[in-house]
Amino acid sequence: MAKQLLKLRPTKIELIRLRRRLRLAERIQKIIKDRLSILVMEFLQVARETVEAKKKSLADFGEAYKALSVASGYHGTIALEKELVATEREIGIIAGLRNIAGVRIPSLELTGEEETLPAYSIADTSAWVDRSQEQFNQCLKSIVELAEKQSNLEIMGREINRTKRIVNALEYTIIPSLKNTISFLEMKFEERDREEKSRLKRVKVLLEQR
Amino acid sequence: MEEPYEAFLQEYLGGEFRVFNAQLPCEPITLSKLLLEQHPGIVCKDGSRYLIKKKELEYLASLLTADEQSLFFLPVLIEIVPGQDEMAVISRGRIEEKVISEILGMPVVSRKARIKIYRPQLALIRKVLRTATQYIFSPRSIGESTSL
Repeated sequence: MAKQLLKLRPTKIELIRLRRRLRLAERIQKIIKDRLSILVMEFLQVARETVEAKKKSLADFGEAYKALSVASGYHGTIALEKELVATEREIGIIAGLRNIAGVRIPSLELTGEEETLPAYSIADTSAWVDRSQEQFNQCLKSIVELAEKQSNLEIMGREINRTKRIVNALEYTIIPSLKNTISFLEMKFEERDREEKSRLKRVKVLLEQR
Repeated sequence: MEEPYEAFLQEYLGGEFRVFNAQLPCEPITLSKLLLEQHPGIVCKDGSRYLIKKKELEYLASLLTADEQSLFFLPVLIEIVPGQDEMAVISRGRIEEKVISEILGMPVVSRKARIKIYRPQLALIRKVLRTATQYIFSPRSIGESTSL
C-alpha cells in the first residue's frame, strides 16, 4: 500500500505543527481506546443480563398463562371474565437516563408495586385466580426489566460501532499519515542540509581555484 | 490542513472529556437521604436527573450501620485515567473501603483518597452497583489530587 502523505508546504513550522498534531491525535486515541474497552465491558455485562432477563420473562409468562388456564378451567371462561372485568389498573414507570462513558441509556423502574387489594371478589373466586394475578404482576416486572436491558444493549452496540470507527480512523489513517508526513519532511530537510553542505564545499573549491 | 484542524482536535479532546463527565453529580447525597426518597436520584452537572435503583441502595444499607449510612455519599465515583490499566475508586474514608472490600471479597486500602482496582474487579463492582457507581474520566494520573 502506498504511504499516505499530507499535502503541505515543506517548512520547519509545518513540521512543528505536525508533531503537535500527532501528539494530540495519539492522546485522543488513548482516551477513545479506553472508552471503547469500558463500553465493551459494559456491553458484555448487559448482554449477559439481557439473556437472563429474557429467560426469566419467558418462564414467568409460561407460569402465568398456566395459572390463568387452570383458573379459567376451574371457574369457566365467562365467569372468570365477568370477575376480572374491573381489574384493569394503570401502571407507572419512572423513566430516566443514565450516562455510561458518554452513552446515554434509558433507565426504567416500575412504580406502584406495593400490594393492593384485588379488584375482584375474593369470596367468589378461588386461589387459582390470586395465583395468576401474582404471576402476571411478576411478568410485568420482568418485561419492564427486559425492555430496559434490551434498549441498553442496542444503544451501546451502536455506540461501540461508532467508537470503533473513530479508533480505526485514528489508528490506520490519521496517525500513520501524520507519522509518514513527519518522516518525509525530516528526510527532505536532511536532504536540503546535505545539498547545502555540498554547495558550500563546491563554492569553497571555486574560491580556492581563483 | 491548516490551523483550524488543530483547534478541531483540541476541541474534540475537550468535548470527549465533557461528554464522559456530563453525568457527574452537582452534589453527592448520603445513602441515608436517598433511602428516604420515593424515587432516589441525583441531579447531574448537565441538569439531568440520574436515577439510582432502590435494590442497590437496600444492598448498600444492608452492609452499613445507620451512622455509616449518613456518612456514605453516592454515587461512588470510579476514576479512569487514559492509558493506564488500573482504575481508582474515589474514597472519602473507611466506609468506602468497607463497601468495596465487601463487594470484592478481599481487603482493600485507600491511598491518597483512592482505592486502586483492576479491570476484573471493576466488572465485579459494576455488576453489583450498576447505578450507584459512575465513571469519571480524568486527564491526571491516579494518585494526583483532584478537586471534585
